Amino acid sequence: MVEELLFFMEVLVGGLLAGTMYSLVALGFVLIFKASATFNFSQGAMVFFSVLAFCGFMQDFNIPFVLAFILAALLMVVVGLCTERLVLRPLMNASEDTVLMATIGLGYVLEGLAQAAWGVEVRRLDLGIGDFPVPWIADNLKLFISALDIFAGLVAALMIIGLSLLFKFTKIGLGLRAVADDAGAASSIGIPLKHIMLLVWSAAGVVALVAGCMWGARAGVQFALVDLALKALPVLIIGGFSSIPGAIIGGLIIGATEKVLEVYIGPFFGGAIEGWAPYVLAIFFLLYRPEGLFGEKIIRRV
Amino acid sequence: MSNSPTNILDIKNIEVRYDNVILALHDVSLKVPKGKVVALLGANGAGKSTTLKAVSTMLASERGKVTKGSIDYDGNSVEKQTPSQMVNLGMVQVLEGRRCFGHLTVEENIISGAYSRKLSKGDINQELEKIYTYFIRLKERRKSQAAFTSGGEQQMIAVARAMMAKPKMLLLDEPTMGLAPQLVAEIFNIVKELNQKEGVSILLAEQNTNVALKNSDYGYIIETGKVMLDGTAESLLSNEQVKELYLGISKKGRKNFRDVLKEESLNKKSN
Repeated sequence: MVEELLFFMEVLVGGLLAGTMYSLVALGFVLIFKASATFNFSQGAMVFFSVLAFCGFMQDFNIPFVLAFILAALLMVVVGLCTERLVLRPLMNASEDTVLMATIGLGYVLEGLAQAAWGVEVRRLDLGIGDFPVPWIADNLKLFISALDIFAGLVAALMIIGLSLLFKFTKIGLGLRAVADDAGAASSIGIPLKHIMLLVWSAAGVVALVAGCMWGARAGVQFALVDLALKALPVLIIGGFSSIPGAIIGGLIIGATEKVLEVYIGPFFGGAIEGWAPYVLAIFFLLYRPEGLFGEKIIRRV
Repeated sequence: MSNSPTNILDIKNIEVRYDNVILALHDVSLKVPKGKVVALLGANGAGKSTTLKAVSTMLASERGKVTKGSIDYDGNSVEKQTPSQMVNLGMVQVLEGRRCFGHLTVEENIISGAYSRKLSKGDINQELEKIYTYFIRLKERRKSQAAFTSGGEQQMIAVARAMMAKPKMLLLDEPTMGLAPQLVAEIFNIVKELNQKEGVSILLAEQNTNVALKNSDYGYIIETGKVMLDGTAESLLSNEQVKELYLGISKKGRKNFRDVLKEESLNKKSN
């Protein structure tokens, strides 16, 4: 009995921590959704692009780890700058659907650029943290939990705290929330939309880099990262597209349920249900709580 | 500058088109003297909002363009400016329909108006207290989410937010739309007070002709994108045609100035 309980705990904790990896990807989507009310289809490509550049700097140019990370982050700021100037500004008066389509195109451009610059082979990324159970926890709590999962959890926690503070207490955060509510009114009182867009896309780029590092360390830096980012979709549907805590909680829910379902119900379906189980969960949310757990309800006065 | 001084805003014969085709204004000229309140009156679709947006340069974001004529603000053309540059120059528009940031608190809404100014936290609080002296009602509700305040309060938020940018000139687009008469009076009292105590020049677009003229120095009446009549507020209030067409003191079935002009020309011919 105790062993079964321990096993369940292990599955659950492992799932929750793995979920934070989804949260990290979802965070990038939320940032951009808040400011431009658009689902950024290029977020997956940004994850791939940023982490591949990071690996490229380290492995092809022998730049040390920290410096390479800073360079890759700066590169994502440049990507944000170019996106604002070349894609968003010309489409300023276009409908949200047009911008959505543009992000799909942007995704292809980034995928192509990344592979043109750094090649197509799978790269190994070593963060210095192994993807194996932590001995201390295994000995004392009898749980086998990956060190990388714990690290990802910590990083996700730090990012959410940092971003929440930024939004709540800084001037630029206030500007961002104002733009998210009503871009026209924000511009009428002198909030420069292009600065806000630039900031948001750069921040989303850096978040993509962090998420890419986690995923790259686990699964190798490869093209499949682009599709992995799509796992963020059910996370966002559950957590709410415009909520940062929602992205985190949504990730945890997805991570935990897919692992638990895989282990306990998977065998009845012949296994491998974690690929689609999150989407089933997402459909239930779409039916009964379309704004997600933490999404902003559309407030209407009656 | 040689041409700066008496008029803070000088619009000369502007024509405005949307999407390069749809003609919204065809001949609007208008002056706002420094420190005065000028009312721009007309029915729905007459071109009031378009005129204001042409001035604040917000037309561009709606695919509109000034195709003829000129707009000078404080002695300089607004042609090359962006909305945020106009705010920096001291011109702020309060958009039609209040447009508060619904998910922000009342206070956050007001503070957001100071975004373009480089103020310390202390300065912001000082400004905020000053703003609250005009909008006492908002101080009580400072922590509420703006979306859940009443229509009148939202209008006050929108004006208070604009005042945080320390404007020299305010463009108010139908500030009393959908408000109860008592609130209309309250809003106008605040506007008057801001004009007198803060020295803000005001261009006011309104359908509520009577109240607007009673609180203005000068008025323009526009119909289908053209200025039909202008004059001091008193002269417009006592004008027979204005009374008939805009103040609801009607004699015959005439609906607008074009009908009046037609009638007059018919009368001339028959004489």
